[in-house]
Amino acid sequence: MDKMMFLFSEGLKNLWRHKLTAFSAIFSTFLTLAITGSLIIASENTHKVIEYLRDKYKIEVFFKQNVSDGRVKELANEFKSIRGIRSTTVITKSDAEKIFKSQFGENIMDMVGYNPLPASCVLNIVKHQTDPIKIRPIIDRLRSFPEVDEVNYQGRLITRIESYYQKFVQGMTGLLILVMLISILIISNTVRLTIYAKKELIGALQLIGATRAFVKAPFVLEGIFHGLIGALLASILLIGGLSLGEGIVYSVTGLKLQYDAMFLISVLCGTGILISLLGSSRAISRFLKK
Amino acid sequence: MIRLDNVSYSYEKGGGVSNVNLSLGDDEYAFLIGPTGSGKTTLLRLIYMDLIPQVGKVEIDKFKSNNIKPRRIPFLRRKIGMVFQDYNLLNDRNLFENIALPLHVIGVEKDEIVERVNESIEEVGLEGKEDHLPMELSGGEQQRACVARALVKDPDIILADEPTGNLDPVTSFELIKLLEEVNREGTAILMASHNYNLIKGRGHRIIEIQNGSVRQS
Repeated sequence: MDKMMFLFSEGLKNLWRHKLTAFSAIFSTFLTLAITGSLIIASENTHKVIEYLRDKYKIEVFFKQNVSDGRVKELANEFKSIRGIRSTTVITKSDAEKIFKSQFGENIMDMVGYNPLPASCVLNIVKHQTDPIKIRPIIDRLRSFPEVDEVNYQGRLITRIESYYQKFVQGMTGLLILVMLISILIISNTVRLTIYAKKELIGALQLIGATRAFVKAPFVLEGIFHGLIGALLASILLIGGLSLGEGIVYSVTGLKLQYDAMFLISVLCGTGILISLLGSSRAISRFLKK
Repeated sequence: MIRLDNVSYSYEKGGGVSNVNLSLGDDEYAFLIGPTGSGKTTLLRLIYMDLIPQVGKVEIDKFKSNNIKPRRIPFLRRKIGMVFQDYNLLNDRNLFENIALPLHVIGVEKDEIVERVNESIEEVGLEGKEDHLPMELSGGEQQRACVARALVKDPDIILADEPTGNLDPVTSFELIKLLEEVNREGTAILMASHNYNLIKGRGHRIIEIQNGSVRQS
């Protein structure tokens, strides 16, 4: 227990003894995590936009005149089992007649003597899906039913939105990985400066019988402290910025920014500790190998 | 306790030791004497396994250089106290913290650390200087602090590499006497020096080393 306390206090003292290098490491962690946090918030809100747009996607299936209402309902149930379809709404011939009357103010039966409007079914697409929604196979499957006369859909729009969304997700992921790798390298080099400044201590520890783990521990702990402080600073910046900015964003765009503060803090602290741990372990391990 | 069998080690740029056979008993006090560059430090480094012999074997109790795993070397060093010419004290820690460091490494409880460090400080005559930084101590005091740091973990042997190299003759003599007291309490001492005048006539075994070869008295 005393040994753990000693290592812990050594880690804390290192932080104070090497203020400049600690500042550099904390600052680079802070920057990385501020970017990471911004990407998380952007991704969360873009996801909401995509879900909103997907909610608006509609496929309209018109049936042939001789298809009965019962069969239309059966077919609507079959459509639900197609991958990518979330829900179906059946519009029978009599429903169509009512819609016509509400929209045009006239009864179609009075105009042409019979109801020429076909029964139809409106299909809604799934909202929660990370992969792009492939609309073409759905349309082909719908057209394969002999009862189906015509299928209307916003094909190009859906394809374009899905394609942009995929590019956005890929770009975000790539950027995030790049930023983290750069951060690990910066932290590793910063910690290496601390190690060079403490090489006397490392030498002395090795001569008096310290194991590798004992020599490494204070540096790794110091790295964890850097990560944690950087993460807390980034959390304060982002959550503070969001609190101040969400009103402005709402008044300008009508969009209510979505974020979970606790989730954000947890992710940033976890990521901060992880990248600092990797950076400092890498630096001290490389030094001890020499 | 220490046994070297046909030990050879040579550096890429020349120097080292060759075919050394040597043994040192449990409570022996021996001087390793030889000119600068004769191989004294190499021999000591081989004993605390900072270097592993290219030929032959170093044996210290159950630790054998021919089959020791690198992760076991720290445990060997816990049995050895080391004293260096340039003290190797940490300048950002006071005397007490410097001497306590080996005890933190082996995981001694806090109360026991205080007790043992104070005992060591008393043994080397540095009472009242606990809060001093190394820079605030004289050369002789720093070397005594170094001896206290070696003693605090109650080692089986102390290896001293030119510990008097930076000290004046009077302080050097005092240090030799201090190490003799330590030896009387049962710790083996192997002290390397190039100053024959300092060690002659003290009744201890003298091991002479020249150009990497050992001749024993």
